[in-house]
Amino acid sequence: MSEKISNKNDLRYNDAGNVHMDFHGATNTTIEFIIKKYGIKIMDDIFFKVGKEVYKDLRENIKKGNIKMLAEHWDHFFGRENSEYKIELDKDQVVLTVKKCRAYEHVKKIAGFVSPNFCDQTIKTNQALSEGTEYVIDTKILGEASCQQIIRKKYDT
Amino acid sequence: MIPSDHFTRFYNEVFKFLEGQGEEHLKEYWLEISKNQEKHTLELFKSKGLQGMYEYWDHIREEENCDMDLELNDERLQLKMNVCPSLSKVLDNDAEPMKRYCDHCAGWIGPIIDKVGYHLVYDVIDRKKPQCVVNIFKDKKEAIKQEKKAKLLMGWPSKKK
Repeated sequence: MSEKISNKNDLRYNDAGNVHMDFHGATNTTIEFIIKKYGIKIMDDIFFKVGKEVYKDLRENIKKGNIKMLAEHWDHFFGRENSEYKIELDKDQVVLTVKKCRAYEHVKKIAGFVSPNFCDQTIKTNQALSEGTEYVIDTKILGEASCQQIIRKKYDT
Repeated sequence: MIPSDHFTRFYNEVFKFLEGQGEEHLKEYWLEISKNQEKHTLELFKSKGLQGMYEYWDHIREEENCDMDLELNDERLQLKMNVCPSLSKVLDNDAEPMKRYCDHCAGWIGPIIDKVGYHLVYDVIDRKKPQCVVNIFKDKKEAIKQEKKAKLLMGWPSKKK
């Protein structure tokens, strides 16, 4: 049975106010620039740093087994960007299904081109968040602007 | 997804990597961002001049939640950033802030202002504080006068002398 998501006030970064979606365009430009000039490993390393250092608090919570914090983070920020998504929260697992990712759609609209590596920001940051914990975060791309992200205990079937 | 709310913290990580590669790497990246920003600014700035710049930053002021005063007259646009949300987020961060984070702003704005024939004077004041004063002049002589008053004047790639 799914639990309810609450307590977003506990988030380390709890942004409010307006949302500047054009930043996703700059992320898209950055991904293309870094990969072209330095290679994909460097881009992945930067995403790993974001996952481990910027989101240190989120990672510490995952380490302690508090995966509800990640559900709250997802709910807060996908909600702020008006994405279409669903979160199913259980004791040892959280499933985020994004039907329409507004970040992806916005980049397509303003730049006309979305980097084939655009979703690496999600895949790699998720990997970094769970590395060294009892959990794993799998990110599956379901189609354009759509994905599923699952945090679950390692070795669970 | 790295939320748009957290872009500046991602940006900070990119800057730290590029700074480690050398100054030219940072400048090349700022120019790339500048080209990206041209999509949102160049035609507006070319067609409406200072008024177009006012409109752009007025929109940014609201969308990026800036505490910023804008003052426009026939000769100059002034942006007085009282609390910069970009540097504020980088400082409120579990990752280490890049010490020259502020430099990127002149790094992307400067080349665009040069392209449209205006004169940018970017006073960061203090890189540790989320505040700055930006003046954009029609007249180069006025810009040079203003430069002399700046506390911490920023340059950018291929800045006109």
